[in-house]
Amino acid sequence: MTDQPLTSSTPLEIGRMLRADTTRCVVGCRAGQPHLPPLGSLVRLPVDDTYQVYGVVADIQVFDDGLTRQVVISPNLDPSVILDNQYNRNLPLEIGVLFVGYEHNGRLSHLLPPRPPLVLHVLYTCTPAEVRRFTAHGRFGYFRHLLRATDQPLAEVVAAHLQQAQACHAQGGNPHWAREAARELITLLRDDYATLATVLSALADTELDL
Amino acid sequence: MATQPLTVSDPEGQPIGYVVGGSLQSTLRVRLTVPPQTIQEGSFVTIRSGNWQFYGTVVDLQLGATDPRFADEPSEARLPRGLVDLLHGQTLYTNLEVLPKLMAEIGPEPGTPDYEAWRSEHPEGGRIMSVRTVPLHHATVRLAGAGDVAEIFGEPSERNFVLGYTREQGHPIPIDLEKFVQRSAGIFGATGTGKSFLTRMILAGLIKYDQASVLVFDMHNEYGYDDIASDTREPVIGLRTKFPAKVRVVGLGQDTRIHGRTPDFNLVLAERDLEPEDIEMLTRELNLKETTPTTLAALVQSFGDRWFHEFRQMEVGAEETDENGKKVPAPNSVAYWANSVGTNVMAAEGLHNKLRRLFEKPYILPDPPEGATIQQVIKSLEAGQHVVLSFGKFESDLDYLLVTNVLTRHIREAWVRKTEAYRADKSKNPPPRPLVIVLEEAHKLLNRDLAAQTTFSTIAREMRKYFVTLLVVDQRPSQIYDEVMSQLGTRISGWLGDESDIHAVLSGLADRDQLRGMLTHLQPREEVLVMGWGMPMAIPIRSRRYDERFWNEVLGKTDLSIEEGLQKLGF
Repeated sequence: MTDQPLTSSTPLEIGRMLRADTTRCVVGCRAGQPHLPPLGSLVRLPVDDTYQVYGVVADIQVFDDGLTRQVVISPNLDPSVILDNQYNRNLPLEIGVLFVGYEHNGRLSHLLPPRPPLVLHVLYTCTPAEVRRFTAHGRFGYFRHLLRATDQPLAEVVAAHLQQAQACHAQGGNPHWAREAARELITLLRDDYATLATVLSALADTELDL
Repeated sequence: MATQPLTVSDPEGQPIGYVVGGSLQSTLRVRLTVPPQTIQEGSFVTIRSGNWQFYGTVVDLQLGATDPRFADEPSEARLPRGLVDLLHGQTLYTNLEVLPKLMAEIGPEPGTPDYEAWRSEHPEGGRIMSVRTVPLHHATVRLAGAGDVAEIFGEPSERNFVLGYTREQGHPIPIDLEKFVQRSAGIFGATGTGKSFLTRMILAGLIKYDQASVLVFDMHNEYGYDDIASDTREPVIGLRTKFPAKVRVVGLGQDTRIHGRTPDFNLVLAERDLEPEDIEMLTRELNLKETTPTTLAALVQSFGDRWFHEFRQMEVGAEETDENGKKVPAPNSVAYWANSVGTNVMAAEGLHNKLRRLFEKPYILPDPPEGATIQQVIKSLEAGQHVVLSFGKFESDLDYLLVTNVLTRHIREAWVRKTEAYRADKSKNPPPRPLVIVLEEAHKLLNRDLAAQTTFSTIAREMRKYFVTLLVVDQRPSQIYDEVMSQLGTRISGWLGDESDIHAVLSGLADRDQLRGMLTHLQPREEVLVMGWGMPMAIPIRSRRYDERFWNEVLGKTDLSIEEGLQKLGF
């Protein structure tokens, strides 16, 4: 995954939605496909021609099955068997997406989507231009949806998101987006020492020039 | 607070923060948005809130944290510089405490249609008044600009004498000399803080403005003629040098010379000038007994206003032999007189012995020569001149206490007479010319034991009633009687180390708790806190330097060299 561009210049179809609630959804996709969206990346799920939902990848789960369990204890494992299990399995890889906003009739909002997508709606990656458009809209209002997800590795998701979004903004000529985003995070978390300390520690581990 | 039209607010002042809390009764809390080192205690700030502008001074800076753990753990070692900077602005912050003093309605932002409408309703502009409400949360706080300073403290002029400059931005802070002389004032500061230089500058301003006469009791001969600074050994220009036609240097005693120069005239006290109160005031200095008032009363009863002369002529222990061969007091003896009036001989002889120090003073004569009397001093002051009374070689506390009190008592009597004549018939009698009496080492005359007996405490209490006020100059204000201190209008204080002195300087002032910090943190030299009645609000300033440039500015001379002057004229 690391040798792939963080965001493709064209939207890529990743998978289809399995289940959802008001704040998040789970998307199933083929395990071995290229360009899987990394943790923290911005994705979207078009519902119809006028309405699509935006989210941030906050969780990726890979499941096993009986065959994998048998294979894993086999001695002298043949490389072809390994590749077969990694790329040709019948179990989907599940991507957890936190809803962070939506677009209706061309207007962006950082509120939660009024209704989640339905099952089997397609998940797409966002292009750099789409990332810039969504993340520069308003004043980082969508951060509150990320910071609410305390059951996820919140600091890691936020740090990964800032790193990827800053790469898109840098392409667009704005080197300061991540600094402003970090300032907003500190504002939102300044009364929560434990969370802020974790987020700052994660940000310190990125290559962001803050 | 006298109101005055306000037409200009200064939008150029640098924003430094926004209001986050506080109260009218205490202070406003302001979240600082610039590094704390750019703001100092005592900074003059403005707060814009709606149509109102507030004026106040910074009285405290406090470091804060949204969570103490942010402050406890140095983030610099763990986080990149950029993140640390962001953290310091938010989780770690500095709050200012601003003491609001004045407010003014200044209308909407200039240039907007609302402003034009407001101006048409308020053609005279806003008015400055004492603060009566508080600004809104998040109102922008700025360092006062030059326009704000001028609005509050006035534009420099002869009347608005520039005493110094704001510490951060160097805006001139003038003092209104008209108000300054209307009540007694004080200049305080520990030794070496520049009291004498500050006094010289204010006196120069008063003499130049020329709306009041000045009488300086110059105990150490430093105000009249040029002198040498005691610490830097630099020459110090005297007032007489720069105002030769306006200032009269008076030397105490006949033939007294000041710094090798003959004074304009000499002062000699006539024996009849002395009254029993003048002696009683010296009780501690002369170690007088409690019988003294009785003996003095008997002397006055016997000799009237010649009592001092007659007592001076008497001898203690002089005896003669009567017709029976018995030793009896001689007619010129103290005992003879005491017996003749039925007063205690021992008490009278004891008093005579104690007063011997006065009898030996060469500046007390039966009949002073013409032109060397107290009346001559009073005439000079009435004529609009300024008098520096130099004590010459008579520098003891006894000389200072006696001469200042006797002279001031006569002056006050003269001013009371003139004032009453003026009040009786204003069409025929002009008002007395205001007089400022400058008292160095004032605690010697205004301490708790003496204050009630001297003329000075009366003058301090009367304020402008009789057109005479005091300018007390002292390094130990705690030694001055509380009642006198509380009467002082304008107070100018340099650094003071002693807590009791700080307490004394601030006595009777509102906001003294907040002012205490400003006073404590003054630099030991060339910084003073100006406060009290003559100032719209208390403010610490960097005082002017007493040098050639000062004199050029006061006397209206240019700083330009001949070459620069010619160039400016186009040659």
